[in-house]
Amino acid sequence: MAGSSLKSFIKDVRNSKTLAEERSIITKESAKIRTKLRDDHLPAEKKRKNIQKLLYLYILGEKTHFGQVESINLVASDDFADKRLGYLAAMLLLDESQDLLTLLTNVLNNDLNNHSNKYVVSLALTALGFLSSSELARDVYPDVEHLLSHSKDPFLLKKALQCMAKLIAKDVSLLDTFSPELITGILNNHSLCSHGVLLGVIKVLQSILQSFTSYQEFLVEDEDEDGNGNGTHAKENKVAESNQEFFIRILEPIIPVIPHLFMVLQNLNAKNFEPDFDVQGICDPFLQVELLHTLSLFFQLGDELESSEILQYLNKFSDVLTQIATNTDANKSTGQTILYETTRTIFSLNLDQPLRILGVNILAKFLSGRDNNIKYVALNTLLKVVPQEPKAVQRHKKFISRCLRDFDIFIRKRALELTFAILDEANIVELVDELLHFLERTTEDDKSLILFTVERLVDVFDMYPITNEKWQLQVFFQIMKLVGRHIASDKISDILIIINNAKNSTSKRDVLVDMMKYSLDEKLSLEIPEENVCWQLASIWCIGEYVDILLESQDAALINQRSLTDYLCRCNTRYNEDNRLINYTLTAALKLSAKIEDTKCLEDLRQLIVRHTRDPDLMLQTKSVQYELIFRQPKAVKRAILETMPNFEKPHKHEKSSSSKPVKPRNNQPKESNLLFDLLQNDNGSKTSGEKKQPSSIPQSDLLADLFKGTPSTDRTSSRSSADARGIGLLSQSASETVQLPTQSVKIHDSDSLQVFTHLLSCGNGSSQLEMYFKALQPIEEIQSFCAVPKTQKLTMGQLHPQNSLQTDDVCKQSLKITGTGKLKLRVKVNFNKNGNPVNQQFDYKFDGSL
Amino acid sequence: MTQIKYMILASRQGKVRLVKWYTPYTPKEKTKISKELPPLILSRKPKMCNIVEYSDHKVVYRRYASLYFICGITPEADNELLTLEIIHRYVETMDTYFGNVCELDIIFNFGKAYAILDEMLMCDGAITESSKRDVLSHIHSMDTMEGSDQLERITS
Repeated sequence: MAGSSLKSFIKDVRNSKTLAEERSIITKESAKIRTKLRDDHLPAEKKRKNIQKLLYLYILGEKTHFGQVESINLVASDDFADKRLGYLAAMLLLDESQDLLTLLTNVLNNDLNNHSNKYVVSLALTALGFLSSSELARDVYPDVEHLLSHSKDPFLLKKALQCMAKLIAKDVSLLDTFSPELITGILNNHSLCSHGVLLGVIKVLQSILQSFTSYQEFLVEDEDEDGNGNGTHAKENKVAESNQEFFIRILEPIIPVIPHLFMVLQNLNAKNFEPDFDVQGICDPFLQVELLHTLSLFFQLGDELESSEILQYLNKFSDVLTQIATNTDANKSTGQTILYETTRTIFSLNLDQPLRILGVNILAKFLSGRDNNIKYVALNTLLKVVPQEPKAVQRHKKFISRCLRDFDIFIRKRALELTFAILDEANIVELVDELLHFLERTTEDDKSLILFTVERLVDVFDMYPITNEKWQLQVFFQIMKLVGRHIASDKISDILIIINNAKNSTSKRDVLVDMMKYSLDEKLSLEIPEENVCWQLASIWCIGEYVDILLESQDAALINQRSLTDYLCRCNTRYNEDNRLINYTLTAALKLSAKIEDTKCLEDLRQLIVRHTRDPDLMLQTKSVQYELIFRQPKAVKRAILETMPNFEKPHKHEKSSSSKPVKPRNNQPKESNLLFDLLQNDNGSKTSGEKKQPSSIPQSDLLADLFKGTPSTDRTSSRSSADARGIGLLSQSASETVQLPTQSVKIHDSDSLQVFTHLLSCGNGSSQLEMYFKALQPIEEIQSFCAVPKTQKLTMGQLHPQNSLQTDDVCKQSLKITGTGKLKLRVKVNFNKNGNPVNQQFDYKFDGSL
Repeated sequence: MTQIKYMILASRQGKVRLVKWYTPYTPKEKTKISKELPPLILSRKPKMCNIVEYSDHKVVYRRYASLYFICGITPEADNELLTLEIIHRYVETMDTYFGNVCELDIIFNFGKAYAILDEMLMCDGAITESSKRDVLSHIHSMDTMEGSDQLERITS
């Protein structure tokens, strides 16, 4: 029948006209395969066919677990075709986590020792590389070791080496028996060293170098289990001893390899043409990159151990890198690959300045090119390099700005981050100008980039003392005009604060008048789309605050009592859905009424306020009723109540410091704060109504100032700064959401500034949930915690809650989930800022239970 | 250091043509990635860069005619540009093997496509062999052996 061969099955699936038809063919075939595979007497030929079809189902993303055992049976066959397919199926259908792997152990043992057919050995090695659980790793380790010491076939050697690397990574305790001479022996035998074998040797070296920490842990733990590991002092000694042991037994024998690797790398780099390994005129870029990375790992570990045996080669390595950087052809994509790896090496080791400059220049050259991939990696790397070489990166700001105009949003995003990273007092005018140009060209798709830019710009102006206030105001004027509709409400408040705090009255007036022109002039106002709520909000607020300044302007034809009143009335009708805006409008109308004479205008304003006395929104309604009361007061009283705002203190301290760091992936912090903002706004409203009942006793200007202080940051600081503030009302309570230390928690770390507690919620059946509590003994900021668990376990961490900056005695918590096997223990590293200085603390903790 | 997390070959219609996992993901994660990734990659315009940030890692892809070669890579360890070269090497090797390879070759002979890939990348997605000739000669030997179906002693 037609469905019997793999080819016709694939054809049937491809030829099906509808999804339903395809589905039905697949389901039918899948069921058929399932039955067939259960049949023990199926001829080998048919078995193979069914497994092949099953693999096709695998590619299609169908369920294939029922073929797992059968694929292992195929592997056990003596027939090469069976074996080949069996191994292929096993590699695809099984994975490291499955118990079925034990079934494979015997077969693997046999095949690895097959002396008659090297391809059987090779298949076994390939499969082992994919499917080594730590149990399997221990079982077959002797076989792999035997191959390494006896085989003279580069083909098998390279695979055995790759497997060895994987086995060591899987189970570091294997290093106990591992003999580094195996590797050095192969490296010194030139007849064996094909490129593949070199790649394998390097892989083993990488594995050894990277296993240092976990091997050290393993040694310490080993001692502990002997029952004589008590007290931290003893433990420190143990660590030092195990360091020493690792160094002497494992590392020392492989250190002499370093100059050998230099030589190989230099030879490759200088070689002209070798047909087998040539990629665009570069000899084996794969091997070159791996060599560079391995050497980099060597010196990183050398740094960590402060080992002079390793570091003695560092100068030579710098020379090699310089040579590669100058000799590699930067016009070929493979050349660029090697140069990119070279710069990564330079910066990861933080080599001498001339090399770092060389690295920055290579990356800058990447930026000037056309290839977007090259640009992307260059921007990405430069971003990390700025702290090390700020000046050198700044020199290339032209190219960076050019990337702001790139077609690809990923490139623009990186360029944007980089622009902010290199921004400082000297180049602020130039770069902000570029950023405004950037904003001018943004589209709807760039919303996240716009928000990011505005947020960072506000911070930037906070951070650097600005001499030219007019320019600063104009920048924000431009921002609101260009991208106002994307600006989040808390940022609008920030911008209003900046306007309010401007000291130079002439520049303030000029900018305000300019702004009003765009709001009032019929033609110009067309440039401001209706959705630009930020702009309208700012205009309304400015009318309320700066009537005096505005009316002083020369342009009386445009800006006068009438036009301002009309503007407010227009906003009142146009945005009657937007409560926030109406809120601002009411206040502005009241304030305006105190400063103008025209009775017609006054009546319009009164009407505007009165219209909301029946507003369905309770907050607006109350406000309107109260404002109407004030409206009727004699002018002198009104003027006194409705004074211009004083200067605002911007309570931004800890936010500022967080934003000066290199950009990290955003967490959901901002979202949360917006949410809070809304909450707090309502809070302000209700407070207004509550306190309004004794209007004379409270200074009115403060009351109004509340409106603008309603940024989440204010509330967060205030709720933290005083204990009673926490008690006020439900809203502030929910905003700070204080965390209490549970009574069952155990102290696991103590220092003069920070205590850490833990509370085990559940443990057992391979998973455990626990919470960590950080209690501050002094005010600390920006806590970051990093945890590590043993290799057999997997850790998922939640965020610090409710915040990562704490006042004295405040507590924040973090949830952890650990899955896997073995004893439950943690290594915790905590970074935080105390009085603006970074502090690092690290400690280990072992729980009683195990998973 | 190459540490490729997975390789997915997807057609222009977003259908998966070949998939290989080098990291032990759970079945759920695997399904998520192979459902989400092809549409994401397909939506990218030709001039955009071939490196995409996805989930907690990066994805490097390259298009050859109607087929997209998509690789998840380990941030910091992998060299994105080298991953592009590895993809290209793989395509070149298949091209020589099949003789002007096309999507259909891979669909109908996925076993061979896997075999070639397995000679080039092993374990946790580490590059094992950089010589195209070496890879092909071993694949051919295995094909012959499979054909004659006998386990003869082969001396190197």
